Amino acid sequence: MLRRRFFIIEALTAVGLIAAPFVLPHLGFSPTTMNRILVWGLFGIGFDILFGFTGLLSFGQSALFGTGGFVAAYLLTRMDFSSVIGALIIGTIAATVVGFFVGLIALRRTGIYFAMITVAIAEVFYFVEFNPLSEYTGGENGLPGVPTPSLNLGITTIEFNSDWSLYVFMAFWYFVGIVIGLRIVRSPVGAILSAIRDNPLRASAVGHNIHAYKLTAFVIAAAYAGFAGGLLGVLQAFMPPDAFTFETSGQLVMQTAIGGAGTLFGPLVGATVWLYLSDFFQTTLHLGATWKLVLGVVFVVLVCFLRRGIIGGLKDLGLWLAGRRWRGSPAEDAPAPVEVPRLASVGPSRRRNEKPFLGPALEARGLTKRFGGLIANRDINFSVGQGELRGIIGPNGAGKSTFFKMLTCEMRPTSGRIFFHGRDITDVKVARVCQLGLTKSYQVNQLFSRLTPRQNIVIAALAERRGTFSLDLLRRIDRVPGLDTQVEATLAMVSLTARADVPVVELAYGEKRRLEIGLALATSPSLLLLDEPLAGMSPHERKETVLLLKNIARGRTLVVVEHDMDAIFELAERITVLHEGAILAEGTPAEIQRNSLVQEAYLGGMAAA
Amino acid sequence: MAHCQSPFARTLSRRAMLRQAALVTAGFSTLSSRFTSHAWAGDHPAIGTYPAGSSGDTVNIGAAVPRTGSYAVQGEDELKGWQLAVEHINSGDALIRAIAPKVTKGLLGKKVNLLAADSGAKPNQAVQEIQTFINQHKIVLMTGSTSSAVAVALNKFAQREKVLYVTGISGSNDTTGKDCVRYGFRQNFYGETAANAIGPLLVKQFGKNRKAAFMTPDYTYGHTVTKSVNDYLGKNAGWEMVTNQVSPLGTQDFSQYLTNIANSGAEFLINVNWGRDAVLSIQQAKQFGILPKMTLVVPYQIPFLAKETGAGLTAGVLAATDFWWTLQDKYPLAKMFVEAFDKKYGYKPEWGANNAYMSFAIWARMVSEAGSFYPPDIIKQYEKGETFPSTVGDVHFRKEDHQLVRPVVIVRGKKPSDMKNKEDYWEVLEVVPGEALMQKPDAFGCNLGDYT
Amino acid sequence: MVNWPNFISQLFNGLVLGALLALISSGLTIIYGTLGVLNLAHGAMFMLGGYAGWVAYTYTGSFIVALVAGSLFVMLVGVVMERVIIRHFYARPHEDQLLVTFGLGIVFVETVRFFFGSLSQSVPAPPPLVGITPLGFMFYPTYRLALLGIVIVALIVLYLVLYRTRIGMIVRAGIEDSAMVDALGIDVYKVFMLVFGIGAMAAGFAGIVNAPVVSIAPDVGEAILVQTFVVVVIGGVGSFPGAVLGGLIAGEIISITSMFNPGYSYVMLFVAMTLVLVLRPYGLLGTAGRE
Repeated sequence: MLRRRFFIIEALTAVGLIAAPFVLPHLGFSPTTMNRILVWGLFGIGFDILFGFTGLLSFGQSALFGTGGFVAAYLLTRMDFSSVIGALIIGTIAATVVGFFVGLIALRRTGIYFAMITVAIAEVFYFVEFNPLSEYTGGENGLPGVPTPSLNLGITTIEFNSDWSLYVFMAFWYFVGIVIGLRIVRSPVGAILSAIRDNPLRASAVGHNIHAYKLTAFVIAAAYAGFAGGLLGVLQAFMPPDAFTFETSGQLVMQTAIGGAGTLFGPLVGATVWLYLSDFFQTTLHLGATWKLVLGVVFVVLVCFLRRGIIGGLKDLGLWLAGRRWRGSPAEDAPAPVEVPRLASVGPSRRRNEKPFLGPALEARGLTKRFGGLIANRDINFSVGQGELRGIIGPNGAGKSTFFKMLTCEMRPTSGRIFFHGRDITDVKVARVCQLGLTKSYQVNQLFSRLTPRQNIVIAALAERRGTFSLDLLRRIDRVPGLDTQVEATLAMVSLTARADVPVVELAYGEKRRLEIGLALATSPSLLLLDEPLAGMSPHERKETVLLLKNIARGRTLVVVEHDMDAIFELAERITVLHEGAILAEGTPAEIQRNSLVQEAYLGGMAAA
Repeated sequence: MAHCQSPFARTLSRRAMLRQAALVTAGFSTLSSRFTSHAWAGDHPAIGTYPAGSSGDTVNIGAAVPRTGSYAVQGEDELKGWQLAVEHINSGDALIRAIAPKVTKGLLGKKVNLLAADSGAKPNQAVQEIQTFINQHKIVLMTGSTSSAVAVALNKFAQREKVLYVTGISGSNDTTGKDCVRYGFRQNFYGETAANAIGPLLVKQFGKNRKAAFMTPDYTYGHTVTKSVNDYLGKNAGWEMVTNQVSPLGTQDFSQYLTNIANSGAEFLINVNWGRDAVLSIQQAKQFGILPKMTLVVPYQIPFLAKETGAGLTAGVLAATDFWWTLQDKYPLAKMFVEAFDKKYGYKPEWGANNAYMSFAIWARMVSEAGSFYPPDIIKQYEKGETFPSTVGDVHFRKEDHQLVRPVVIVRGKKPSDMKNKEDYWEVLEVVPGEALMQKPDAFGCNLGDYT
Repeated sequence: MVNWPNFISQLFNGLVLGALLALISSGLTIIYGTLGVLNLAHGAMFMLGGYAGWVAYTYTGSFIVALVAGSLFVMLVGVVMERVIIRHFYARPHEDQLLVTFGLGIVFVETVRFFFGSLSQSVPAPPPLVGITPLGFMFYPTYRLALLGIVIVALIVLYLVLYRTRIGMIVRAGIEDSAMVDALGIDVYKVFMLVFGIGAMAAGFAGIVNAPVVSIAPDVGEAILVQTFVVVVIGGVGSFPGAVLGGLIAGEIISITSMFNPGYSYVMLFVAMTLVLVLRPYGLLGTAGRE
């Protein structure tokens, strides 16, 4: 995430843009090249938000680039629209709307399939531009005659019709684009996008509607693409059909990778390198057609060795030079204080003003899950009372994880219903369920591993504060009301305040487990499912975690799956035993310990059949 | 402050910075678009790259030529033609002086320098390259196209930038039709003239009311040539277009189109495809048995077609072209050109190279006759319509649409057994004078723009 | 008003085109299924096979030698590529893998252009297969018929290797769960290398075998690449039968559409792909798992 020294980056950008015309020409950059770089850079800001921050690699940005460009060019050349700036804005709106619908289709899939659909969309748009709509788009000729912009200030009119005045125009819009981009990236939405890239499963599980956020990122990228497309037409006085080709998308991807994805400035750096080298190879070195080969090799080398592009490489260089010994204690588990802080600060969410429900907190009726011929869970009837601490035990393969997955609605049951506080949640999605107050911590850590513990908790708390989806793109993340309190309280609960700013990769295992629980806590659940919270812990850690769980249990309902019998018998008020997909027994710890069926199940397993 | 000197700071003299600042603020000038600086040189106001581009002892020409993509082979050939022309202008070669008598060594005392960049036959890339040339090198002439889409884009660009443009290869009617511009000139033949030249021969040889299948590449050149040919044959001889298979530029596998054609009942295959598309479609047509069952006609010939497909496929094929090297027996200037080219490059030039050479030679003539690099003067010289010699005889420009009035050459492919040397692919049947082949000047909606 | 002879001819055309696509796509799909890497250089491998074969042909005049040379060369390229570059990318995010194969694809194409120029080169069909065969409803180039036969044989060989040999079993297991294969003590890296080589070879073989039909040039791979993706997505990623089925469907879509309007044939392919993705997210024969 970008450092929180607000306005330094904006200021530096402004300085850079102002200084460029004085410095760059001496390095061999012509004004048109610089303008082109700005267009690609602006195009790339949106793409970087989509790819660098959200992790969605789209090869179809050319479709939106072209749409914005052609709508603007059409208005200006065929319809005598007078205001260039107005046409650019209308083109951007068109691209944004188109991007919304394209995103609806493309985002139904993820990863490779998503990339494939974007390729297909790019090709279809190119074809449509070329053929059926060639009346409007000029087909393979494009739309020539795009005028240069002018600004009527009442007393005088400023015409941007020379190379340098166009530079001023473009630089201004690039600056606006960067400022908005930085705002977005620093907003809660930006943080969530990064979380989606890091661990989409968990981002959803802590209560965010990740599909809506992805669509937002896609639409943002479309808007930037559309505006940049319009600028291209103005720059060249000609809107070319090549704007729609797959190569345009490919070039954008390569430039972003070269410059460094996830930095917002990566595309600008990448475009500079690309355009400069292509000019250099062709006109200075007279390499002719070989320029593309050299550029390709440069690209592959960069991808192999500079994993985060040039900017990433520079950052690493900077860190290496500055020394990296400012971090805190080494990665040992600092012994946590024995007294556990008061937990009143992280109670169930104040948002939810439900009438208190008098029945069971969680109830499953006839819950069954089949995987083909394998029956993982068989007709389970399960019920947990309000405020109860229930343990679930069972030998391996009993179906505990599957059961849990169904309870949190991560997996759909084959048949049966689930009720949370009397409400049927069987068909509700996991993010919504979390918002209702039912959440889970995972057996295998599902953390946002690129972030710090504080940032992890922030992600979860953001969902708690803002619901499944909120379009607060321009809000500063530190201005979300109540966020800090929530985060600090949660960190304190899991005793991670001292280590809150250490990257997750440097945490000890026990600390990571505590963070895992903390993530679930930050969503202010009223019912918490814990999947083997003690897994992999040392005896000392176990003791503390048991204490932690006891604390958390106050004022909440807890359901814990565990293998550690001592711990579970100490913790739980009632225990349910699962065996071969069905409930074998249920009762107090003492009853369960005496139950012969349970003993057989653990020792033999044949008798129950 | 000296210890902070970066390498760049040393080059940034105070004067340079002030000049730069002036440029940037001039950009904010409240004057309207026409004159952004008050620098007057000579007796003409500044326009385009004048007088900056011709104030030194060298003038630059910028060429955007496809060196990758479907037309790469033809592009390289064109490039050689341009390079030879530039060499001849600088050395005052006899051939150049035959076309442009006032050229001595160099043009108006200045050396000519050619800059070339890869356009990939894409309009956007071509415009980008030319834009860089204009900015960095202040070119006084731009050229390049092998695809008419590029020609149209560069036409418009030339008009906006006020830099003269001579087309490379461009076969579309639109280039000097509805997309014509004051600053653009075309020397080669095009769809309408090709159709009107080859049409009568086809009718004479094969009669009336025949059935033809067309293969058309899907862009302006393809559509206009197909239309011109079909119009001629349909109106004058009752030929029927039984099918028109339109394929995207860059198609590799023509089997779908050829299957449709095979089942169409056509007797003639009129292939308007160009470059590699033509080579592939013809090779595959043979594989499908369509050739030689149907007779192949190539209304707009492609350089290197015979070489790439193999002479066996082009035997007996009728084509209309701009130039063929055996014309050296008929025109002395052609002989000089073919010899010079063969000597320098080791093979006989195709028509792309000839077109390139001629377009530069003509420009050199116009500049030297006008006595200045001021674009409107040069344009008016073209528009005078004086007759001058060329590698295909005497020619002149038509002032209404800036198209050169010149003959179209009809050729027929030779059988391999008839070839006297390994480049003797085509036999010239007829050289049809151009005037009668052209449409009326305003027939295609040409509206030349302003001079300034 | 369907022109029946034309319809049958186009159906047949689609079969030939589809078989070729099926072969190339099988290569791509087993690479993706086993290694999880989407090889954006696959089209370039098709092109390399053509060139390697052509070079061999110019030196020896034998088509068989050209076939073998083309396939082996590309297999070698695939193996080296995996060993030297791709191997270091398994731990890196998917996007990086896409980027590096994308870049390598460009490098291969431009290298070939550097050495051989942009002029297209033709590889003539071997003499016994030159000519035209009357098929009743149309005349068909003999070589294309032979091509259909050769490709079907190649697909059968690939099938036998995958489903009837031990190594093939390991590869299929790797497609399902490579971690498990590793845990069973099989050297997964050797398997990966082999799979990459085989997958590349499939493309290279297709490249040389197709050379007499469409003469080779540096950019023959580009269009093929996109079509291959579409086939893989329609058929289901990682599924060999899916690639075959997808290939056939794709071939027929292209051919039948071109009966009515050739310009739309590739667009229809993309529309079909999008439909499949929306209705059957994992392709027609694919399974959930790899994303």
